Amino acid sequence: MTTSKKASGSTRPPARKVAKVAAPRRRIADAVLTEIVRNGALAVTEEMKTHLMRTAYNMIIYEALDFTVGLFTPSGDTVSIGLGLPSFIRGMANTVQAMIQHFGTDGIEAGDILVTNDAYTTGSHLYHFTFAVPVFHQGILSGWTVCMAHWPDVGGQLGGITTDIYAEGLQIPILKYQRAGVVNQDLVDIIRMNVRLPDRAMGDLRAQITAVRSGERRYLELLERYGREPVLGAIARIMDQSERAARARTLTIPDGIYEAESFMDDDGITVGRRIPIKVKVVKKGERMTIDLTGVSPQVSGFYNSGPSTGISCAQVAYKCLTSPTDYPINEGSFRALDVIVPPGTIVSAVKPAAMRWWMTFPMTIVDTIFRAMVAAIPERTIAAHHADLGVAMINGISPRDGRLFLASIGPSGGGWGAKATADGMNGVVCLNDGDTHNHPVEQMEAKYPVLFERHALREDSGGAGRHRGGLGTEQVVRALSPINFNIQVDRVHCPPWGLEGGHSGAGNHVALRLEGREIGDFPNAKVLSRRLAAGDAFIIRTGGGGGFGDPEGRAPERVAHDVRQGYVSRAVADTVYRVVLDAQGLVDATKTARSRRRRLRGQ
Amino acid sequence: MPLTMRGWRASARIAADIGGTFTDVASFDEKTGHLRLGKTLSTPRDLVEGINTGVEKAGTAFADASLFLHGSTVAINTMLERSGARTALLITEGFRDIYEIGRINRPDAYNLYFRKHVPLVERALCFEVRERLMADGTVLQALDEASVDRACDRMAAEGVEAVAILLLHCYRNPAHEERVKAIVQARLPAAFVTASHELSQEYREFERCSTAVANAYIGPRVSRYVQGIDRHLKDAGFTGSFLLVQSTGGLYQSAQAQVECVRMLESGPAAGVVGVQALARVLGLSDAVAFDMGGTTAKAGVIYQGEVMTTSAALVGGYNQALPVQIPMVDIFEVGTGGGSIALVDEAGAMRVGPQSAGAEPGPACYGLGGRQPTVTDANLILGRLGSERFLGGEMQLDRAAAEAALRERIAEPLGMTVRDAADGVLRIAISAMSYAVKGVSTDRGLDAAAFPLVAYGGAGPLHATSIAREIGMSRVIIPLAPGHFCAFGMLHSDLRYDFVRTWFTPLADASFSELDQVFRALIREGRDTLGRSGVKAEAVAVSRAIDMRYVGQEHPVTVDLTPEVFKRRDRDAIKALFDAVHLRRYGTCAPGERAEVVSLRATVTGVMKKPPLALIERGGRVPLRAARRGERSCWFAESSRAVSTPVFDRAWLRAGNRIAGPALIEEHASTTVLLPGDRLLVDPWGNLDIEIGDC
Repeated sequence: MTTSKKASGSTRPPARKVAKVAAPRRRIADAVLTEIVRNGALAVTEEMKTHLMRTAYNMIIYEALDFTVGLFTPSGDTVSIGLGLPSFIRGMANTVQAMIQHFGTDGIEAGDILVTNDAYTTGSHLYHFTFAVPVFHQGILSGWTVCMAHWPDVGGQLGGITTDIYAEGLQIPILKYQRAGVVNQDLVDIIRMNVRLPDRAMGDLRAQITAVRSGERRYLELLERYGREPVLGAIARIMDQSERAARARTLTIPDGIYEAESFMDDDGITVGRRIPIKVKVVKKGERMTIDLTGVSPQVSGFYNSGPSTGISCAQVAYKCLTSPTDYPINEGSFRALDVIVPPGTIVSAVKPAAMRWWMTFPMTIVDTIFRAMVAAIPERTIAAHHADLGVAMINGISPRDGRLFLASIGPSGGGWGAKATADGMNGVVCLNDGDTHNHPVEQMEAKYPVLFERHALREDSGGAGRHRGGLGTEQVVRALSPINFNIQVDRVHCPPWGLEGGHSGAGNHVALRLEGREIGDFPNAKVLSRRLAAGDAFIIRTGGGGGFGDPEGRAPERVAHDVRQGYVSRAVADTVYRVVLDAQGLVDATKTARSRRRRLRGQ
Repeated sequence: MPLTMRGWRASARIAADIGGTFTDVASFDEKTGHLRLGKTLSTPRDLVEGINTGVEKAGTAFADASLFLHGSTVAINTMLERSGARTALLITEGFRDIYEIGRINRPDAYNLYFRKHVPLVERALCFEVRERLMADGTVLQALDEASVDRACDRMAAEGVEAVAILLLHCYRNPAHEERVKAIVQARLPAAFVTASHELSQEYREFERCSTAVANAYIGPRVSRYVQGIDRHLKDAGFTGSFLLVQSTGGLYQSAQAQVECVRMLESGPAAGVVGVQALARVLGLSDAVAFDMGGTTAKAGVIYQGEVMTTSAALVGGYNQALPVQIPMVDIFEVGTGGGSIALVDEAGAMRVGPQSAGAEPGPACYGLGGRQPTVTDANLILGRLGSERFLGGEMQLDRAAAEAALRERIAEPLGMTVRDAADGVLRIAISAMSYAVKGVSTDRGLDAAAFPLVAYGGAGPLHATSIAREIGMSRVIIPLAPGHFCAFGMLHSDLRYDFVRTWFTPLADASFSELDQVFRALIREGRDTLGRSGVKAEAVAVSRAIDMRYVGQEHPVTVDLTPEVFKRRDRDAIKALFDAVHLRRYGTCAPGERAEVVSLRATVTGVMKKPPLALIERGGRVPLRAARRGERSCWFAESSRAVSTPVFDRAWLRAGNRIAGPALIEEHASTTVLLPGDRLLVDPWGNLDIEIGDC
């Protein structure tokens, strides 16, 4: 795999003697044990996920499930990662491998727990704390259980836009949080001093330790029950099977070079200057190369991510196209994929690029890869989606207890793209996230001084097409006491595109209501460090998905159904779909046929 | 004679459990102490007919009974088959779409053709009501009754049959929901109307909405069904009480079941767990794992310190497209492995077992009904664990050649192994998968599964129980009498039960005990009143209180049971210590230095019913009677990697005190128990097979 060199600030340790590390021998695992271990590996990550979610302190973890848990081989290859953030599909393996490289395998011992939040190692932002347990079985390093979770605060500038990593908070290089069973209290004290809500941070830290510990316990049970060598052999076979499946699916894609281009609105610093994203896919035989050389160089604003995220973009797209339901997600799935990401792009940024909002741009890169592939495999690809978390960050002093609160409103569901045979989904989380949940309104109102006036689907936001794009959503949130408001939404001016003649969906949108007047004509949707008074409101609108195919190819009855449900207005049914409905909302077949013919004649 | 039996002399209780395939009936006569069982095929078109046949088969009559207890899949099937009523939703203005938007998650994250949940109400039938409460229950916007009237006009025009009402924060103040319901009932007198607070007084609007909608959607069909049985019972001369099993395993009267239909979603599986609780009580066990395996799934539940472990919500219909239901139910972990689970080799050469199932038709290849794919049942037949002659007491002949052909073509040849190894592999994968159901309710809840006895029932449970126990390291397996009728048996041991939950946020440190006490008292009073109205005379009334707590800042609470003494003493420190201990058990960690807060209050009022005593069976010697011997069969046991000539016993001829050393097979009407080499069985005084798992 061709990748950029890692831009980690840590110096490489001198070579040391080789420690005891278990190596796989495929032969000793049979088909039966392989399947048993497959279920076992899934159970390890499932349990880690459950424990993290149930014990975490911040809503981003416990409700939004913004985390990833994983089981790795002794050398840091992915065996199973739970359904967390797709955009982090690569970040965790890279982090484990960097940890191994940093300490050397003989610098790691039983009872260690390693930690880092280095953005250039994880490829994401400093909020992502990663804890890793080296699992020793009979004194031999036999794997890793790892947990990344999003902390609500790591210090740094509160609100606004950052232009370098130093403004974004505390950076923890690869360190031992625990060495041979003894917690590094100095490190804990440094963290406590640098974050705004130390109790919450410590609660989340404990939850993460619980998760990696439970994973370790469950993985050790598997090793005890079936033996280390057979289990590692089975893991090697699982990866081989995933590789074989991905190769077979790749083979069914016509050979060729496929390219596409799209744009982000801007980087939040140079307002209105579009950010180009060019992708190239080379498909030959069983192999695929995804070349991201043409994506924009890293930008001034905080939309950059590290090199592992460039690889994630390619891997996510590749998995969606070749083995979407193959579990566990493992290294084998990606062996037949080559990724080219030169250093210094928005998804392979080098220090000191600002990374705080790393999540936004990669999603559009993945959508652009799907766009490129429509020429080859229209039936397997998808039109663009809203591609933004639609999340606002608020903070202020709680009138209830006089203490600082930090909260995120969102993630918000948005519209997904239509496909060759199906409409897009309404109100679903963006591609960056997978099993991520929104926050219940009743919970937000019980915890924070806000009142939701509305949470609804946006009529007509789905791109028209033979298959319609999914609908975006709208949330109107009123401040009950003064709050500081930040939002950094993109893809307002470059809305989600349709495919094969399908129309674009509505773009994302942000508005404020100040003293009763709605203001929505911002030059971009990056509205930062605004003070809202009690009674003011902010409005988050997520985009709709792009349509697929010519709207006039849509069955009139389905248009009538959409109008009845209020997904599509009568006006759009009439002018875009050219379907004429009677007073009861039923299709007038004669008039519809006439209307569609007229359009064909160019009237 | 029936005339004289009616009324004061009626002494029997009849339990009927309708499952997907079979209807099981158990009847117990308090005078004679006789337990009778009947099993018959379910009759989907007329479920009552199946109950009748089962009651006849059990040799009993409705007129002789004082209690009729019933569990049914009608509620869950109506939901899963989407065969419910034309339903509308009335919801707080501005929030029309929260039911469709849901929690926005995308678990099937790489599948571009993923589907999210499909609401039970179309968007065109979601109507907004003008009103708004604040999080503390105060009124921000008074209810605009005209907006309700307008919605009623639309619902009437649309021919709506059922209505769900969800207003934000109603758990703090139900006044608006109550008023909206009254208006709707007046305007649409024929409609089935549910307000969310009647079912759930916990926050989380999507989940509560989904609960209320599910109840409305299944309400008309379920209530018609319950009424139908009620009418039938009366016609048959029944004058006693008709009670249904809730998802908690507790009973509620038929009148309430016709209103709170969603409470019986999981009645069958819950009854099985209650049966294990009853059995455990008799055997003097405080802990046990209940394991039920049928044709398509395996389910596990837990008895811990004498109590059935419950959970506060469930997802119906698979995780990816689940519709949540936020009511207490037995904590059951289900995996998609059953006797009919299909084994295959996928395109990448991996061997898989389930979750696809051959179902009842065509069923496993060995049923000879045209099934070509090998299943777990076929594997058991090939390995000798199942006999081809005496399946279902000899009512059905199994086709060994068909099973062998299926395994050879689909598994053995593609993977280059023998048919026997293929069968053995299918079984091992199935057993490992099912062990996760057991771990799911025990180890994952912080309980040491190895220390728990495994009580296995359902048609296929006894066949696999000793292997599963080995997989987990459990040392004791118990196969109850008539494992195929166990859910009906469980019903005979249920109590009337009413659960109440109310969200009540307060830090523990400044919680006002008199306020908490008031809420508890109100909940308990409601339970006692409902019990009083049930018309059933309970032997005693038991009340339990629990608090859902979390550390300040956490979201997900754990439930802490409170003893009356702790609560009466108002002992915050003791409550905090209890919470720390529960958290530690559940997650392996706790933070005694951290502050805790109260999230919800739970009260359960139980009307304790007289339990039928477990009958003793005839005593015998150490060695089973000769009549119990049914010869030998060659069995392959992976656990010892060899084929062994294995004695077969007829369970009907086993006597208390008999001992059998494994390997052995114990056959009965709808089930076979496998003893592996090294296992030791003792038939206990009640006829249960008490198996000590050997080392192997």
